[in-house]
Amino acid sequence: MFGYVRPFKGEMLVKEYDAYKGVYCRLCRALGRYYGPLMRMTLSYDCTFYALLALNQRDPKMHAERRRCTCNPLKKCTYVCPANEDAYAETCFHKAAALSVIMTAYKFRDNIEDERTIQSLGARFLFALSRRTLKKASADFPFMAEAARSMMAAQRAAEHAVHASIDACAAPTAEFLRTVCAELGETEAEKTVLRQLGYFLGRWVYIMDAADDLADDLRRGGFNPFVEKLSLEAYVGGELPKTQRDAADRECNAVLNGSLAMVVPAANLLPDGPFTGILENILQKGLPEMQREILFLHIKRTARKEREF
Amino acid sequence: MTDPYKVLGVSPSASDEEVKDAYRKLAKKYHPDQYSDSPLAELASEKMKEINEAYDTIVAQRKNRTTGGYTSSGPRGTSSFSDVRSYIMAGRIADAEQLLNGVPVESRNAEWYFLKGTVLFRRGWLEEAKEHFTRACQMDPGNPEYQAALNQAMNQRSGVYGGYNPNMGASNVGGCNTCDVCQGLICADCCCECMGGDLIPCC
Repeated sequence: MFGYVRPFKGEMLVKEYDAYKGVYCRLCRALGRYYGPLMRMTLSYDCTFYALLALNQRDPKMHAERRRCTCNPLKKCTYVCPANEDAYAETCFHKAAALSVIMTAYKFRDNIEDERTIQSLGARFLFALSRRTLKKASADFPFMAEAARSMMAAQRAAEHAVHASIDACAAPTAEFLRTVCAELGETEAEKTVLRQLGYFLGRWVYIMDAADDLADDLRRGGFNPFVEKLSLEAYVGGELPKTQRDAADRECNAVLNGSLAMVVPAANLLPDGPFTGILENILQKGLPEMQREILFLHIKRTARKEREF
Repeated sequence: MTDPYKVLGVSPSASDEEVKDAYRKLAKKYHPDQYSDSPLAELASEKMKEINEAYDTIVAQRKNRTTGGYTSSGPRGTSSFSDVRSYIMAGRIADAEQLLNGVPVESRNAEWYFLKGTVLFRRGWLEEAKEHFTRACQMDPGNPEYQAALNQAMNQRSGVYGGYNPNMGASNVGGCNTCDVCQGLICADCCCECMGGDLIPCC
């Protein structure tokens, strides 16, 4: 995934912020433990969200623990730890770690197919590195690997279709998250809620990524579903004029709001757990804030990195 | 039955006003409007029922008074696609779509576009759903059912039910900024001066 699913820090309680960091750091450690230290690099806000969502389904016993950070030994971090190796909580972190590895590996593979040979050299190298871990993660959670495989196939088909609508292009990512989220539910009612949440969250992520890349894709002539939707074919290979760009941003924002209008009602039906406050913050404030930063403040990807936690 | 105070998330010692506030907040959270045409509608209405019952119980306990709940019902007119409608009602979206796709292009009327839009909406294809609802409204401008579906789609895009609304400006995230504070003070000063007083002596 792409790091768009993150909380809005300004509206978080301090205890929620601490808990979020605790889960984030614990996921980093799980990545190291299950898939090797190199895979810690794949840690993302999206997978932290998935871990939070998974943990929140049950009420696992957990406690905080202070330890040195592996990546920065001078810093002490607070980790959220499953008490007495609580099996459910441990599985949640394992699953989120596997999701992180699988998503990253498939993103590299996607880049290899998308880009020219020289640009894809880096991606090829990283993909070769991640290959063994991908196999391990796939063996740990076959349903996830299966969902990712069908997502890649469907994505390619959707983007090469004659008429590539936004809905059709967003569907593979949406279906992927739908499957991955639904797996966290036990009863049919829980699964129904998670399915809707997953589908529209995946749809939001895909569309956010497409909107974020629109200017770049126009310049480089890459595929972007908004080009056809907004009839921007005339501007391929150049810059968008100011008025067109504002109109495009507003349209992208409206499409994204449409998805969130389906995410929020589903999130209201999630069980009350230790992380409900954080999940609500992410979905009701974090995602709209992301839309504002990208579409209206035009904060670039690199600058956003510096604004992070 | 579960404790009605627990359902509303208030303590039994809460005042009538606090109970009402908690009820309003929850009723807004699970309001059927945001779940229309959604597979979650049933779950949400169960929640809604629970909240309504809890609130009614508390009010009855306290004052022997009852309040009504929310009901949701869509308008249903005469239809040439009753089979498609019954499939949609039963949640058999794939069957409904198959029937709709079998209709030749030249005999696709406003209702066809509306129903196709509903099917697309259920599948999560919100953009194409909106386009179909728009088409249905253009072909039959007076129809309240099609108009309601289009309004719903447009409201969702505007950010009413979640998302970011650029027209709300900073109030969406920040509240009042330093500029607003100064402006407010200057306004207050002008008002005072009109009435013969003075709030800020230097201006």
